[in-house]
Amino acid sequence: MDFTDLLYKIFLKDGGWLTILNGLWVTVQISALSLLLGTVFGSLLCFFRLGKIKPLKVAAQVYISIIRGSPVLMLLMLLFYGVFARQGLSPIVVAVITFSMHTAAHVAELLRSALMALDKGQVEAARTLGFSKWQAFKLVTFPQLVRIAKPVYQSTVVNLIQWTSVVGYVTITDLTRVINNIASRTMQPMITIIGGMIIYLALSYLVYGIFHWTDRRRTQ
Amino acid sequence: MRVKILLAILCTACLFMTGCGSDSNSDNKDPDSQATIIKLGMITHLNASEKQMEEYLFKVQERSHAKVINHVPVFFDNLNLMQLGIESGKVDVISTYKSVAEYLIANNNKYELVHDDWIKGLADNFCFAVHEDDDALKTDLNKVIKDMEADGSLDKLVKDYIKNVDNGQAPPKVDIPKFDGADKIVVGVTGDLPPLDLILPDNSPAGFNTALLAEIAKRLNRNVEVVQIDSGARAAALVADQIDVIFWAIVPAGDFLDKNIDKPDGIALSEPYFQDEIAHIKLKN
Repeated sequence: MDFTDLLYKIFLKDGGWLTILNGLWVTVQISALSLLLGTVFGSLLCFFRLGKIKPLKVAAQVYISIIRGSPVLMLLMLLFYGVFARQGLSPIVVAVITFSMHTAAHVAELLRSALMALDKGQVEAARTLGFSKWQAFKLVTFPQLVRIAKPVYQSTVVNLIQWTSVVGYVTITDLTRVINNIASRTMQPMITIIGGMIIYLALSYLVYGIFHWTDRRRTQ
Repeated sequence: MRVKILLAILCTACLFMTGCGSDSNSDNKDPDSQATIIKLGMITHLNASEKQMEEYLFKVQERSHAKVINHVPVFFDNLNLMQLGIESGKVDVISTYKSVAEYLIANNNKYELVHDDWIKGLADNFCFAVHEDDDALKTDLNKVIKDMEADGSLDKLVKDYIKNVDNGQAPPKVDIPKFDGADKIVVGVTGDLPPLDLILPDNSPAGFNTALLAEIAKRLNRNVEVVQIDSGARAAALVADQIDVIFWAIVPAGDFLDKNIDKPDGIALSEPYFQDEIAHIKLKN
């Protein structure tokens, strides 16, 4: 069997490519939902972490240290086979909760570091000029926060896509699971894994491309 | 001064790393057996370390009066990883089942069987694992296995889904019957041990185990839902009641090895429904 035939057998034969696309769609769904919820929750955490209410500040600190220090696979298994084992939640819902929690901890820290990098004098100047707190945040802090946080946020998105590759442990058939299935069926793990890596790379570069495109739009 | 101290620490660390200690694999063995060391890829056993498996292999070779060669087991989570292990030179030989080895060799011509006399007669039994409190399900499964053995349908499944499958082709697709309003059994499969357990290109589970599930559904008048799960999470899923049944392999020959070598706490095993010989494979020269 020559190499082209082998590639055909592994990735295309009997509609195998459709199953790969389905797996990719599951990966994208989990990643996108987790990113959305994780960003909202992470912003709240950052707000609490930098706020003046002591119990919330401590709670946010503790949450961030525990979650950032735990492997995401352990957290996923703990939630699916422990905390939510009897709740009847679907595996995808538990996966989205897990990755949202994990992303939130990272987003909270990246927002905090971006806020700390800002020049406080600019906000004070805006306030002196008569801007309300909200106006100072919206017109002075937020645009700079986005600019500073964006490169790290972009890495967080790509990391999140890669973290989701462990969902096979909770009965979800995502892209990694599909790739593993193909490798097992065809007994060609090396070529199949390289194919899977190329798809993940393409997804990552799509994310980089979207960020790059938004940067270019902003500068035009 | 600080540079000298740092250098001294580095030199000491290098000395430790380059090996002042003894080789952990060299104790209590016939010196002849040390001449050749074969690294043997195996599926991870839950209740035995690689060291215990090494001793077991040593005793099996002694018993068979074969020339004892030091096999050093290296555990992997699944067959895919074992293949990557042998292709990257991490192991020399991989241990699997005869049916799986034949499927692998038919699909990947880089491999060949190792003809070792001492592994002849070694075999694993395949059975179902259920939650240890689920006596009713275990009894039902045992009854179906006995009935299928008695009426020859188990042998027929072995022929249709293992022995008569065309050289390296995926076994036929399996349709699991559905019964309106019937109770459901959720079964976890790994899909990583063809032709016993695999996932077809359309993402449907197939292979001998799935065909057996279809027959069980028919005989118990119950719906069977097959979910795919990573092999490392099967026991956790069963103990947490996320699934009702998983497929398991047990070691039948009990002279040197505990029969529960691969059995986690909290699960009960059914009667065996299939036995397959151990086969070793290696890369062709």
